[in-house]
Amino acid sequence: MDISAAMPKPPAEPALRIVIVGHVDHGKSTLIGRLFFDTGAIPAERQAEIERTCQAQGRPFELAYLMDALEEEREQNVTIETTQTRFRSSRRGYVIIDAPGHREFLKNMVTGASEADAAILIVDGEEGVREQTRRHAYILSLLGISQVVIAVNKLDRVGFDRGRFDAVTADAVHFLHSIGLTAQFLIPISAREGDNVVRRSERTHWYSGPTILEALDAFSPATLDRLRPPRMPVQDVYRWDDRRRYVGRVESGTLRRGDPVRFLPSGRVSRIRAIERWPDDGVPQASAGTCVGIMLEDEVYVEPGEVMAPLHDCPAAAVEVHASLFWMGREPLEAGRRYGFKIGTADASAEVVAIEERLDPASLELKERYAQKLLESEVGRIVLHLDHPVAADSFELNPKLGRFVLVDQGVVRGGGIVRSLSLADGARPRRVIRLDGRLLADPSGMLVDLRNESGDLELAADETFLARIRAGERIALRFAGMRPFGAFLNWAWEHFVPFSFRREQEGVWVSLGAPEYASLRDHYQDGPGI
Amino acid sequence: MSLSPSQTSELHERLEAEYLDALENQTIFIFREAYRRFENLAMLWSIGKDSTAMLWVARKAFFGRVPFPLVHIDTSLKHPVMLTFRDKIAREWKLELLVGQNKEALAGGMGPSKGRFECCTALKTNALQQMIDAHGFKGIFLGIRRDEEGSRAKERVFSPRDRDFQWNFKDQPPELWDQFNTAYGDDTHVRIHPILHWTEMDIWRYIRRERIPVCPLYFSDGTRRYRSLGCVPCNSPFPSTAGTVDEILAELERTSTPERAGRAQDHEKAYMMQKLRSLGYM
Ligand SMILES: Nc1nc2c(ncn2[C@@H]2O[C@H](COP(=O)(O)OP(=O)(O)OP(=O)(O)O)[C@@H](O)[C@H]2O)c(=O)[nH]1
Ligand SMILES: [Mg+2]
Repeated sequence: MDISAAMPKPPAEPALRIVIVGHVDHGKSTLIGRLFFDTGAIPAERQAEIERTCQAQGRPFELAYLMDALEEEREQNVTIETTQTRFRSSRRGYVIIDAPGHREFLKNMVTGASEADAAILIVDGEEGVREQTRRHAYILSLLGISQVVIAVNKLDRVGFDRGRFDAVTADAVHFLHSIGLTAQFLIPISAREGDNVVRRSERTHWYSGPTILEALDAFSPATLDRLRPPRMPVQDVYRWDDRRRYVGRVESGTLRRGDPVRFLPSGRVSRIRAIERWPDDGVPQASAGTCVGIMLEDEVYVEPGEVMAPLHDCPAAAVEVHASLFWMGREPLEAGRRYGFKIGTADASAEVVAIEERLDPASLELKERYAQKLLESEVGRIVLHLDHPVAADSFELNPKLGRFVLVDQGVVRGGGIVRSLSLADGARPRRVIRLDGRLLADPSGMLVDLRNESGDLELAADETFLARIRAGERIALRFAGMRPFGAFLNWAWEHFVPFSFRREQEGVWVSLGAPEYASLRDHYQDGPGI
Repeated sequence: MSLSPSQTSELHERLEAEYLDALENQTIFIFREAYRRFENLAMLWSIGKDSTAMLWVARKAFFGRVPFPLVHIDTSLKHPVMLTFRDKIAREWKLELLVGQNKEALAGGMGPSKGRFECCTALKTNALQQMIDAHGFKGIFLGIRRDEEGSRAKERVFSPRDRDFQWNFKDQPPELWDQFNTAYGDDTHVRIHPILHWTEMDIWRYIRRERIPVCPLYFSDGTRRYRSLGCVPCNSPFPSTAGTVDEILAELERTSTPERAGRAQDHEKAYMMQKLRSLGYM
């Protein structure tokens, strides 16, 4: 049944949040301006203000100025800060999020995109896929935004040439595939002139798919949270009116009065006596998204940051987190350092024990394994050790409790997705370091720096790796102490790997294959002589 | 299958309820997060519809109480009806009310005739700064909304001000997944914006649903009403016959004039609001 047709007027539906992303200057803000303009949603006054500014600047009417409202943005013709604006089609309401394309403002792009349910990736038809096109797409995939539409813009500049459109979309689709995303539609547009945005264009007779507006309406609300396991992170405990209320927002699933519950990581157990939503002090249930006050049947001691869950369907109380992280700090993320860690309503201190992979999200190039640093706007696979157990899910199971931020000097600098967790009970698992053929990609050799590994290690190598080491390819390893070096010895013994080593002040250098210290050291420049 | 008129209106109501609940929940979450993270909080209450609706949500967040003081910046140019309304609500809702005023500037004859930019900065921004300094507030709740005006659309929910009160809008910290930045140094305070994501229409729909009392100046006296409340000399009513919340909503559906059209300080010169706000204006 088509609900919208049965309505005399469009209802106020929960809005869908759409982020517009893409390389700098490819036309994100212009597209939003066009969408508003062609649906008559720009107030007359606002339009007059933009006209005045453009006249003063001596330039034609700039649709992007609807979003780019700051003086600095208009002077430099670049979006600096993300903006949200509300828009409604005949089907439903939208929050349209404009993201800046300039690399310098990536943190603002992430801020905007982190709230989105779906995305439009804009690519300039003339310029094609560029660095930030790919970087933004990668960030979408990390954020778990899987509904994506590709809009190829500025086709007026290439005479609405179908060949050009096909070439650009092939490129973009190829990249999306490589990061696990599929575009729902590929739309040829001119944001400035309004082709296929709201109005169907006559200049793209070869195209029969939806316009941008139609594509928006085809997105579906991304709220699966209700279907996921019930979780309520405890935000605070209020002791007023002779009551002890545990307040928080149900992040997933549904909690009901009378449910037996367990709190993680403490493991304390009780039963829900009442669910309060003032002025109502007894609602029967609360679903994902609802902020409530919970009263329990027992006087248990629960701290803010714990997660309330059904007795037999709990999150992990994790001490070790394996994650994908994107870093937004000007100062690099450093292995071996501690950062603030926030997940759900919990805080902890996390040590970066390893940056297992350092990746450039624009080229998808694996830059380094076991790296010391992750630079601004890079992405990495990292391992964190927490100073105390914290309740968390994997991102795949439950995004709301499977994503975290890293904080440095009080400010959020990184966003992460939990890939897997190790539980608090039992010994810390052995860390497995995988050595595979990919490590040998660089003909000048590769350094695997394991100086941050202090615990139990296990090395695992694949056949290609071993064969190529025996054939004389160069690879160096560094260890800080005897324990990890011992693990290496076991491995070398087992696989007949030739090596030479040198003990130094702060650890051990190992050269696999032919012993050639001098050239090794010259290559890696780091540390005292032999 | 088609819906009967009563089924249709039921569906409308349910969808609107879900929609307003989502806005409200987000606001409650922000309130509670701020309350958990900051020692010394206050809420700026302009007596307008936005901050009054926000105040209502605060009562929901804290089970009927408001666990921090409310600050009203009185420029001495406010309509007497606003002050009567303020005192009545403060009494009924048992609020701790602090009234701030830049007495020095007023004694020096500050007023809009000295220039609107100067007047707003002296009587509002500076009065607020004096209040914050005097009480050592670390977090201030403000009822601004993204849809009001361009520079507000660029705001974060938790938005730091430096020791000189300034907003560094060119380099704001990232804010994601409701993990807000709350740990700043001692010489700063943080502006907290619990209703940043609401629109003017949302506010009125919410006022209707919750039956929140609002200042009578919003309703037409038969010929005119105020759409936004400010200081008497710089804020003009516009012709309207809307005398109820329903009529106001119907009127807003039809109009394309922006909400702050009657607010003179917004239009004095280009980027006026951005400039005012970068200095610490609300
Ligand atoms: N010819 C042509 N020009 C366009 C089109 N769309 C946008 N432009 C122009 O491209 C320039 C950049 O557009 P914006 O919308 O500001 O680009 P943006 O992607 O928002 O840029 P940032 O936010 O700074 O990353 C402006 O001068 C636009 O007028 C189009 O369809 N055709
Ligand atoms: Mg832009």
